[in-house]
Amino acid sequence: MSTIQERVVAVTSRVLRLDSAEIRPEHAFSSDLGAESVQSIELIAMFEEEFGIEMEEDAAMSVQTVGGAADFIAKVCEEQGVKVEV
Amino acid sequence: MSDRRKRYPLVDRTEPNLLEDTFDYSLPPRIRFDGPIVEYIDGKPVEFNPADLAARDIVITDTTFRDGQQARPPYTLEQMVHIYDLMAKLGGPNGVIRQTEFFLYTANDRRTLDSCRALGHKYPECTGWIRADKGDFRLVREAGLRETGILTSCSDYHIFQKLKFKSRKDCMEAFCGVVDAAFEAGVRPRCHLEDVTRADIDGFILPFCERLMRMSEQVPEHLAAKIRLCDTMGFGVSFPGAMLPRSVPKLIYKINQELGVPSDRLEWHGHNDFHKVHANAATAWLYGCDALNATLFGFGERTGNPPLEGALIEYISLRGYLCGIETQVITELADYMRSIGMPIPDHYPLVGRCFNTTSAGIHAGGLRQDERIYNIFDTTALLGRPPRVAITDKSGADGIAHWVNEFFGLKGEHRISKIKMHKLARWVLDQYEQHKRLTSIGDEEMEVKVKEFLPEYWQKYGPRSAC
Repeated sequence: MSTIQERVVAVTSRVLRLDSAEIRPEHAFSSDLGAESVQSIELIAMFEEEFGIEMEEDAAMSVQTVGGAADFIAKVCEEQGVKVEV
Repeated sequence: MSDRRKRYPLVDRTEPNLLEDTFDYSLPPRIRFDGPIVEYIDGKPVEFNPADLAARDIVITDTTFRDGQQARPPYTLEQMVHIYDLMAKLGGPNGVIRQTEFFLYTANDRRTLDSCRALGHKYPECTGWIRADKGDFRLVREAGLRETGILTSCSDYHIFQKLKFKSRKDCMEAFCGVVDAAFEAGVRPRCHLEDVTRADIDGFILPFCERLMRMSEQVPEHLAAKIRLCDTMGFGVSFPGAMLPRSVPKLIYKINQELGVPSDRLEWHGHNDFHKVHANAATAWLYGCDALNATLFGFGERTGNPPLEGALIEYISLRGYLCGIETQVITELADYMRSIGMPIPDHYPLVGRCFNTTSAGIHAGGLRQDERIYNIFDTTALLGRPPRVAITDKSGADGIAHWVNEFFGLKGEHRISKIKMHKLARWVLDQYEQHKRLTSIGDEEMEVKVKEFLPEYWQKYGPRSAC
């Protein structure tokens, strides 16, 4: 089973149409990976779908980086009782 | 050299100061003054104290059916009666909309006047409008009106070029003869000083007004002549220091303070040729005219008159309370005007379709957090018009979320997260990026897509009107 980090990268790669090998944890979605306004909410929606969770809008929107997203999702999964591979 | 600039240290806070003494969201923002206004007149400083306004019975008078109708095909009798009825409701029981004037020349004019009066409203009082012709008083008497406007054109453009008088003296005698006829008929004359902002103030206006004052001293108070200052070509300016005849403050000072024409017998009637119409009218209030003459939505000859609805909002801003004005009727009147073929531009203040609609996603984001950020006052409560967003490529997810939540009537914690709208947001963006669309996306089109992309919410909350 893939880790949260790997699954976040896979979703990011799919939504932003980037090669997953080019995506690193420290990359910022907006300034490094080029995510625009609508793509930001597409990413969050796809993360929710991938992990079966619901994220609070403002908190989710405040996450800047790929690594930050993995940490945030891990926390939400724990809060919502969703088992994931860390 | 020492630095003599004044220093302004930051006043740090951790809670916002929203200046609610002025910007009480439940009302149009207050207009507050911190002292008298000083205007130099004939080389001497003269103080005007805006606080005096609170003690004066400032009012709005209407000319929608007279000047307003000179700019369009005639209204039908039924339309005028309906507009009059709504105007009475709008101005409220205190008569903030105090009077409205009617032509008296045709049988239809008379039937319309009678039908409006048959509604039994105390306000607006119906008054007449006639030319400076003694024979026309028969019409006023037959109509049983207490007051009528009389066209007393007063610039030399009118006296000599239009009316062909041989001298100003002949002109004044003729006008005063008509005023005498009004007194004899028991009708209060309201002299419309046409083109006053292009007239010789010292040479004709002040002598004429002085004569009207003297004549009025010979009749009962209720017949004393009123003076309407008609800025016929929109030449008036409100700036302190501006010269006569264009200065609104100086003109009013001369007539009000030097000649002693009381404020309750002074009225300002403007035109919008230089985009100054509303500011000039409000300035007239401030400097001593009690009556501000206006038309609904500013419809009037050429560029129009002071907009009545704007005057009402100004009135509330100056007073700080509604005084019985039913502001939501402004929207009702605008809808009615549109329904009878009167166009109102989309961006027209207070009633245009887009007056409180933002197209920018970043503004929509502000609206989502606190609608006060991008809305002038509580337009939902006062005008029945919640702030809205128009959907374009600039709307962003925030704009789309605002549109959808407003469409479903969801507020606060019940609002749908923009995350749930990602498919709709993608569709909107693709319209512009993929399909090269150049127009905004209309409400009906959005409704179809909301149903398609948010079916569970549609089932729960829709359909409702977005307007």
